[in-house]
Amino acid sequence: MRIVIADDSVLLREGLARVLADGGFEVVAQAANADELRQAVRRYKPDVAIVDVRMPPTHTDEGARAAVEIREEQPEVAVLVLSQVIEAAHAVRLFSERPEGFGYLLKDRVLEIDDFLEAVGRVGRGGTAIDPQVIGQLVGRHTDEGPLEELTPREREVLELMAQGLSNRGICEKLVVSPKTVETHVKAIFLKLGLMPAPDEHRRVLAVLAFLRS
Amino acid sequence: MKRLATVVLAAAGAALGVVAYRVQMDNLLEQTTVLRSGASVVAAWSFLVAGLVAWRRRQGNRLGPLMVVTCFALLCRQFRYSGDPLAFTVFFALGEVAWALVAHVALAYPTGRVTDRVERWFLGVAYAVALAFPLAILLAYDGTAGLRYLGSAPGESLLLVRGSGDLVRALQDTFGVVAYGGLAVVFILLVARKLLRATPRARRMLAPLLVAAVVAAAWAVLNGLLTFATTPPGVIHDLFWWQVLGLIALPLALLWGLLRERLARVHVGELVVHLETASPGELRDELARTLDDPSLEVAFWLPGRFEYVDAEGRHVDVPDASASRAVTGIDHAGEPLAVLVHDPSLLEEPKLVEAVAAAARLSLQNARLHAEVSAQLEKVKESRSRIVAAADEERRRIERDIHDGAQQRLVALALELKSAQRTLGDDVDPGLEALLASAADELQVAVEELRELAHGIHPGALVQGGLAAALEELAGRSPVPVTVESTQDRLAPEVEGTAYFVASEALANVVKHARATRASIRATRVNGTLVVEVVDDGIGGAASRNGSGLRGLADRVEAQGGVLRVESEPGSGTRVVGEIPCGS
Repeated sequence: MRIVIADDSVLLREGLARVLADGGFEVVAQAANADELRQAVRRYKPDVAIVDVRMPPTHTDEGARAAVEIREEQPEVAVLVLSQVIEAAHAVRLFSERPEGFGYLLKDRVLEIDDFLEAVGRVGRGGTAIDPQVIGQLVGRHTDEGPLEELTPREREVLELMAQGLSNRGICEKLVVSPKTVETHVKAIFLKLGLMPAPDEHRRVLAVLAFLRS
Repeated sequence: MKRLATVVLAAAGAALGVVAYRVQMDNLLEQTTVLRSGASVVAAWSFLVAGLVAWRRRQGNRLGPLMVVTCFALLCRQFRYSGDPLAFTVFFALGEVAWALVAHVALAYPTGRVTDRVERWFLGVAYAVALAFPLAILLAYDGTAGLRYLGSAPGESLLLVRGSGDLVRALQDTFGVVAYGGLAVVFILLVARKLLRATPRARRMLAPLLVAAVVAAAWAVLNGLLTFATTPPGVIHDLFWWQVLGLIALPLALLWGLLRERLARVHVGELVVHLETASPGELRDELARTLDDPSLEVAFWLPGRFEYVDAEGRHVDVPDASASRAVTGIDHAGEPLAVLVHDPSLLEEPKLVEAVAAAARLSLQNARLHAEVSAQLEKVKESRSRIVAAADEERRRIERDIHDGAQQRLVALALELKSAQRTLGDDVDPGLEALLASAADELQVAVEELRELAHGIHPGALVQGGLAAALEELAGRSPVPVTVESTQDRLAPEVEGTAYFVASEALANVVKHARATRASIRATRVNGTLVVEVVDDGIGGAASRNGSGLRGLADRVEAQGGVLRVESEPGSGTRVVGEIPCGS
């Protein structure tokens, strides 16, 4: 899988590149700012662009804006945004209606190397990777007596992992339970939230995120 | 002018009037009646009365003397009727100058000077025509052709060179067309022009006089038109009274203008009474009313700052005196106190302005003090918001430095350790592996702590996602359930920062003191103001409990030019509302 990395810190960029190369990814270009990123993406047409939200010159949200542009101009390029801080509203705005091929992770997550590599791969295959903290904030908004109240604590965990973009297998590994158990939980969740059963995992994420955003 | 001179002039005018009346009556023409002969004299006297009043009221203004001269010219004109050849010749030659003087009076009002170039030209031509034609007529007048308005005049020209009845008729016709027709039309146009160009206040003063002038001139125009027509006696009769009315109206209008000023000076007394209770902000309105000048501006001189300010202490530029604005300084104890920027027509009434300035001096001093304090307060407010903005900017910078500097480096370092750990694989000394793992973990904790620290200094969400994102994040961290409704607009950093500060401090109070089960944050833009509202369902009574914290919050909002309100009755929850100006 071919990757472009955009981050203004050389140290971090190099570190990421090494981790990704070790993980079997091919880092085709590195960019130090949003302009370089746009050029690299146009030129190399990578599978995934890993983008830091804050980059020069203003260090506010150049990376996020570049990410939105890339997704509009080249929908085939998946984008994984790395943010210094977690803001659910900002993340939701970034993936808007299309969480496929999109990731939004707290920057520190790169230190969980295995999880991080798995997330990059998932996003590159058209999947979704949303930071647990974002999902936590979204779930936190549904504290009133809504359908979420009816979920068991375990079902809630499964819901959050689904929303992060994890597949059934991923959820099995995280929770150390059998695939059968996960399937049962998923069915129960969909029933309790009043959602239509989704035929594949992409659409399942979509349905769950749509519910959480409502 | 001395009283004696006034009396002498009045007596002379009265005497001359009586003589003029006698001359006309003694040389009675068919249509001349006691009434008409008397009316001509009364019209002339009206100029004398108005002229003498103006002369006394406005020393140094040439309008008064000019009107007195006009009166004498109008009276002397009657001596044309005299049978004495010398008197007839002299006063026939000079008679028409009286009309030029009337036009001069109208155009010279109210300053007594004619400064406009076109008007000066016009008057020059008018005087020349008024002198030249009668002289030319006298050179040819031998009695064969009658003189207009004089009937079969008994006079005999002493200047006769070569008599010609045809020449006399032709000259009289031309004079009628040029003087009464042409010049009178130009005069009306000039008057209209004067009125159009005048400042509003001057226009109000000019209007009556100029209307009278137009009435008089319109008579002349009609007279000119009738030069070639044989007019029935009735029309001649009506035209005569029109002329007399126009002539009397002219000085009366001027008197009215003068009385207006008198009246305005009566208002000075009222001004003194009103100023007792007027606030510094109302001072200008009171002065404007007394001076009858709605355009009046008052600027106070602040000696310490070498600038003029308005009543609120804001800097004002005092314009240079021009045709449309005049500037009058008011001093106190030899030091400049204030200036009035006003309509130039007020310059004609220096006594009124002086009286108003004297009456208002104390109030002006008070108002200046008020303006000075306001100006200082404004400076303090400005510097306070600059300090807050600078502190904010500093916090943003520190937060950015932490995120983009130290944090990045630590994450990169941790990443290297982790990948080293992976590279080494399993065939490594367990002690070393544990060391690496714990170093990486420690680093991760350090990164988290650093992020929290940076957040405490300045919320990063505010930088990256704006107010809406930061409020969401704030709500997400709160142990009390909080709903958020926020504008998605990006606003100026200091506005977003202040709004966030209000929400976070209010929410911190909710968590600490309110024993609330829920809270809500709303941030909406209303007419250029960002309204931040934090409401909870707790025990209330926050105003008394948390004085200093709320005071700090209020300071912060006020530094931004906004206001903070706290409603917190015990038992009915707390509502904190911050209103922050945010531009449109």
